[in-house]
Amino acid sequence: MLKSFGRTDFHNGPGAFATRIRLADGPLSLAWHHCAATADFLGDFFALRRATSQQAYTETRHGIGYLVNELLENAVKFGEPGDIIIESALDGDLFEVKIVNAISLETARNFQALLAELTASDPGELLIARIEANAADAGAGGSGLGLLTLMNDYGARLGWIFHDAGAGAGGSIGLDTFAALDLS
Amino acid sequence: MEIKTNEYRVWSEGAEIHYEGTMRLSGTEAYAPILGLMNGVLAVKPKTIVLDLTELEFLNSSGINLLARFTIEIRKQMDVGLTVKGSTRIPWQSKSLPNLKKLYSAVDLVIA
Repeated sequence: MLKSFGRTDFHNGPGAFATRIRLADGPLSLAWHHCAATADFLGDFFALRRATSQQAYTETRHGIGYLVNELLENAVKFGEPGDIIIESALDGDLFEVKIVNAISLETARNFQALLAELTASDPGELLIARIEANAADAGAGGSGLGLLTLMNDYGARLGWIFHDAGAGAGGSIGLDTFAALDLS
Repeated sequence: MEIKTNEYRVWSEGAEIHYEGTMRLSGTEAYAPILGLMNGVLAVKPKTIVLDLTELEFLNSSGINLLARFTIEIRKQMDVGLTVKGSTRIPWQSKSLPNLKKLYSAVDLVIA
């Protein structure tokens, strides 16, 4: 059964300026580099469409670059081996991106528990509470801080769909991550 | 003390710590050497530590968490102050650095 969290509705239609990238699987160090290179590329790519002023250009380039980098870092850190697909579209002030990758069943269970919490609370309060909790525990990895930063500091609307484990999926399931950013 | 790669450079001059470039390390462990440099400055107990971020173009959320952890560390020490310098030219700084003041209101945050 599908499980979804947050906002998974997209609004950009066929008239939007769009791109689709498929990142091939590779060693972690290379995949990490691909996160940065892809995020920078998409920031540059879409910012040229909003070069009406230096500020609009800079805000677009940075906002898209930051959002895509954080989501791709998560996909690489927590995903199973396999390609990562990035579909992104810009129409006017609205940027939308969907990232598709595979995760293990165990990661899915843990992530769903985290998302239930993240999507039920005020992101600003939860961000500060999580930072405090992380600082008190030297071994904590800061889970959810990237997503909370996107939600609180960038006003990003995030959503997730967990797909069924299909036959032959080898214990992994498909995850679609949705993010929308108002650039006005 | 200096940490330098192709992407970024972090160095201290007295109680000032400077950051330059693009930092997108993979997590708390990868940022440990940077935190080590910062804790080295804190260990001397200067009156005020200055974090100069005005040339740090990009910092991922793991790096922002590092700044937050360090801010909380300073909060525990009543005799050491913290000034954080940012630039309006770099969007992530105006968006995320105000969180440091929420963690510790005595932080002197200057984004100019």
